[in-house]
Amino acid sequence: MSDVSRTEMMETLTGIFREVLDNPSLVLRDDLTAAEVNNWDSLNHIDLIVAVERRFKVRFTTREVSSLKNVGELAGLTLKKLAAHP
Amino acid sequence: MTFISFEFLVGLPLAVALYQLCPVRMRVLFLVLLSYAFYCSWSMKAAVALAATTILTFVAGKLIGHSGSKHRAGITSLVAVVILSGYLIFFKIVAVTPIPRLGRLIMPLGVSYYTFKLLSYVIDVYWGTIEPRPSFLSFAASIVFFPQIVAGPIQRPADFIRQLPPIQTRLSQGTPRLVWGIAKKIFIADKLAPAVIYVFGHTKGLHGSELLAGFYLFPLQLYVDFSALTDIAIGMGLLFGIEGPENFNRPFTASSISEFWRRWHMSLTRWLTDYVFIPLRMATRTGGTAGLAFSITVNMMAIALWHGLTWGCVMFGLVNAGCLVVDALTARGRTRFFKAHPRLDGPGSWLGWLLTFHLVFIGLVFFRAQTLSDAAWLLSHSLRGLSPVRSGLSHLMAAAGAHSLTQGLVGYVALELAERYRPDNWWRRVESALPLWVQWSVRVAMTVVVAIGLFALTVRSGGQQMPFLYQVF
Repeated sequence: MSDVSRTEMMETLTGIFREVLDNPSLVLRDDLTAAEVNNWDSLNHIDLIVAVERRFKVRFTTREVSSLKNVGELAGLTLKKLAAHP
Repeated sequence: MTFISFEFLVGLPLAVALYQLCPVRMRVLFLVLLSYAFYCSWSMKAAVALAATTILTFVAGKLIGHSGSKHRAGITSLVAVVILSGYLIFFKIVAVTPIPRLGRLIMPLGVSYYTFKLLSYVIDVYWGTIEPRPSFLSFAASIVFFPQIVAGPIQRPADFIRQLPPIQTRLSQGTPRLVWGIAKKIFIADKLAPAVIYVFGHTKGLHGSELLAGFYLFPLQLYVDFSALTDIAIGMGLLFGIEGPENFNRPFTASSISEFWRRWHMSLTRWLTDYVFIPLRMATRTGGTAGLAFSITVNMMAIALWHGLTWGCVMFGLVNAGCLVVDALTARGRTRFFKAHPRLDGPGSWLGWLLTFHLVFIGLVFFRAQTLSDAAWLLSHSLRGLSPVRSGLSHLMAAAGAHSLTQGLVGYVALELAERYRPDNWWRRVESALPLWVQWSVRVAMTVVVAIGLFALTVRSGGQQMPFLYQVF
């Protein structure tokens, strides 16, 4: 899992986002924010976090989740956690 | 001094003119002095309390940011959060339970709003989402900024400070927004107010039709009154070069209760989402449905009790929390159902709108009624004794003023249409095609006409408008 590249990470995140937000045509970008995506509210935000945690077997803190500004930061944080705990 | 008073409407243009002449590097100091002067006109003691909590929070931010130890930062932020929350809760308790030894204590103006700004600063510095501010003056300006101190919107200090020093004032945007807010207050909210005061002041002696009228009128009055106050705050902010967050987005068009709360008092609900709901939801994320229901309920009760520690607010919170939990638990099922039956999507939205509208209004009866017994009476008797509709409504018209109520209702319909079709956007497109001198001539002429009208109204009423409903929190 530690060998996940940035591209693979975005692909996996796209699958997770599409499933949780029930939006099969959603295309993720680094600068994509919740305000731009239908259905991405505070309830679904935590569901997304839980889905990412399960998929990559990582754990986020409230502090980390609260400071995320966009998809790119979520991808970066997840990769950082994977690198720290391969 | 209130926002719709003769003194204020004379003083504001003077303050804006002085601000324009003020060198940019002195503008933050100007804002702090002006805001404290405004606040002191309300209460000197409360101004001292505001200054003390501002200093305490600023120092706490420095200690948290430069502690060098995560543990020490955590302890300091916890102490600051406990002190600030305790300060707010103390005044909320005193507001409902007079404490004899302390004498008559009144809640400091805007305490619920500025305490939330202070709390967000402490938490943001602790979470590392912002750095502690180097300038005390900028920080103090973000807390005491007078357009927002009365009733928000709750602008996070970091969002305010990034706009400092305000190099450009935005008179052409701020003035119409300010005038729009004052007009909404005077011509709609205050015209609906007598009928609402009549119904909620005599609940148990009224016909069903009068109670039903009160049931529908109060939410409309509340929305117009509070959104007018937000318009005034945002408009005034722009006059001083500060853009504040929006608070409303056509809330009564929501087709679900969760959508309603994303459109109503948005600066408060966003605050609670960030600092209460998300931490709670993160803590309970493995708790399944129970964890979700718990987080929603605590968050909604925090919103309700922020307004006051009364049984009415408790019921308001519980009604909304119950609806939100059902909404959250059925959301996926509903989405799947309407995807499978696309022809039912339109009627479903209408039904959702109608249901949401009434559930919100039921919650607001508890919010407005003087006692729980009055609220229960209104809800249980609104549909009883409806037959003498004409005589019931004629009593209401006589008591509240038929002309006033009609004007308020027509004004409300016009407001909804204006918010739906946004003639201001259309006008802006037309205006941008005109030569610059015509644009400014029209703006100046409109401002002068409206200003004279508002002055005339303010003088005629002796500055005695109905107080803003959200000014008491």
